[in-house]
Amino acid sequence: MRNLLRLIFQYRVLILFIIFEIFSFVLIIVTGSYQEARFYHAGQKLNNTISNKFQNTRDYLSIYKENKRLAEENTRLYNLLKSSYRISYVDSSFAGDTIGVRQYTYIGARVINNSVNKKYNYITLDKGSNQGIEPEMAVICDEGIVGMVKTVSENFCVALSLLNPRFGVSAKIKNSGFYGPLSWKETSADNAIMEDIPHHAIINIGDTILTSGYGSVFPENCMIGVISKFKLKGGNYYEITVKLATDFQRLNRVQVIRNEFRNEIITLEQSTANE
Amino acid sequence: MSKGPIPIIIQFVVLVLLQLLLFNNIRFSGFINPYVYVLFFILLPFDFSGSLMLVLGLAMGLILDLFMGTPGVHSLATVLIAFVRPGVLNLIAPHDGYDLNTLPRVSQMGLIWFVKYAAIIIVIHHLVLFYAEVFSFSHFFFTLLKVFLSSVFTLVFIVLSQFFVFRK
Repeated sequence: MRNLLRLIFQYRVLILFIIFEIFSFVLIIVTGSYQEARFYHAGQKLNNTISNKFQNTRDYLSIYKENKRLAEENTRLYNLLKSSYRISYVDSSFAGDTIGVRQYTYIGARVINNSVNKKYNYITLDKGSNQGIEPEMAVICDEGIVGMVKTVSENFCVALSLLNPRFGVSAKIKNSGFYGPLSWKETSADNAIMEDIPHHAIINIGDTILTSGYGSVFPENCMIGVISKFKLKGGNYYEITVKLATDFQRLNRVQVIRNEFRNEIITLEQSTANE
Repeated sequence: MSKGPIPIIIQFVVLVLLQLLLFNNIRFSGFINPYVYVLFFILLPFDFSGSLMLVLGLAMGLILDLFMGTPGVHSLATVLIAFVRPGVLNLIAPHDGYDLNTLPRVSQMGLIWFVKYAAIIIVIHHLVLFYAEVFSFSHFFFTLLKVFLSSVFTLVFIVLSQFFVFRK
């Protein structure tokens, strides 16, 4: 008996090895789909909790790429929107015909320089004439309008920010349809002033302000902001303070909008004015 | 990184976590899976108890199996390398044997010796692991290619670790 024990002790490594390997081998063979599923489940539960945390981190690290992808998808979807097409209500088309002529084309761009605290604020975008950008094209983001392209180089462009006294847009009150010019009065980065609303217009704080579509730069009904306060100025006209929907401090992905009919409209308007 | 039990336990835990959380997520072109946890067995002291190493091998193999959902596959490979490691060390021993005050590290044994030693252990481990994983020889050469490429990557990571983590 003692000899046997000594023998076992002497060859303990080999014996352990054989036992462990047989154990592992049997594990591989006997674990049918059911045991494997149970086995997998037990480990996987714990693993999932850990890898979830890791996945969150990974998601965060890939947020730049993901944002880019989403912005590109947004551009594509904007271009498919019904409002990007011009529907000509003449005899040859029928109601419900959405296959009109494209009026607005969206070009996705990224903000590479931006200021909010100067008197004249400008935004630099990473798209230029090579990508189809021209001066006087509208710039919007998901939240609301951003500005208007001012100068263009081959691969970049500089846009007038809405936070620039040189920028102006025709705005309207969504509920009542009254419209007037909207511009920034060098106040804070989240307010702009809308003027020329007649005193008989019904105005409520919180009313939505949209673009009117006049001026052939911005499409109609782009979000600008909401009314935060208003006062009568000179007795006849309201001066409305609009809280801007766009957060200019966190601007990143924007859409530049080309109005395909802009030249036609401007030529027509000029020829009328010259008469 | 001395010989005491605490550093060995830390190495064990850190390598299991690294394998599960980092290296399992590295899938170069789909079939290169580096199994860097082998480093644990490579780094054990020269005179480490054979039976204890087998127990550690089984433990590490089973833990990895549990998390990867591959019962028996990793433990088969880790127990095997725990068993053959003393033999491998004897095979490539310097003429005057090992100085038991040193550890198997690049800094102490030289780069060439270490690469030779690590490569043998890694290839044995990966051979057993990949063939046990598919559990057939039907795609023999495809599996062999996987073994070869994964071994190269594991070796690169392990040798790099010698320069960045175990410098002194």
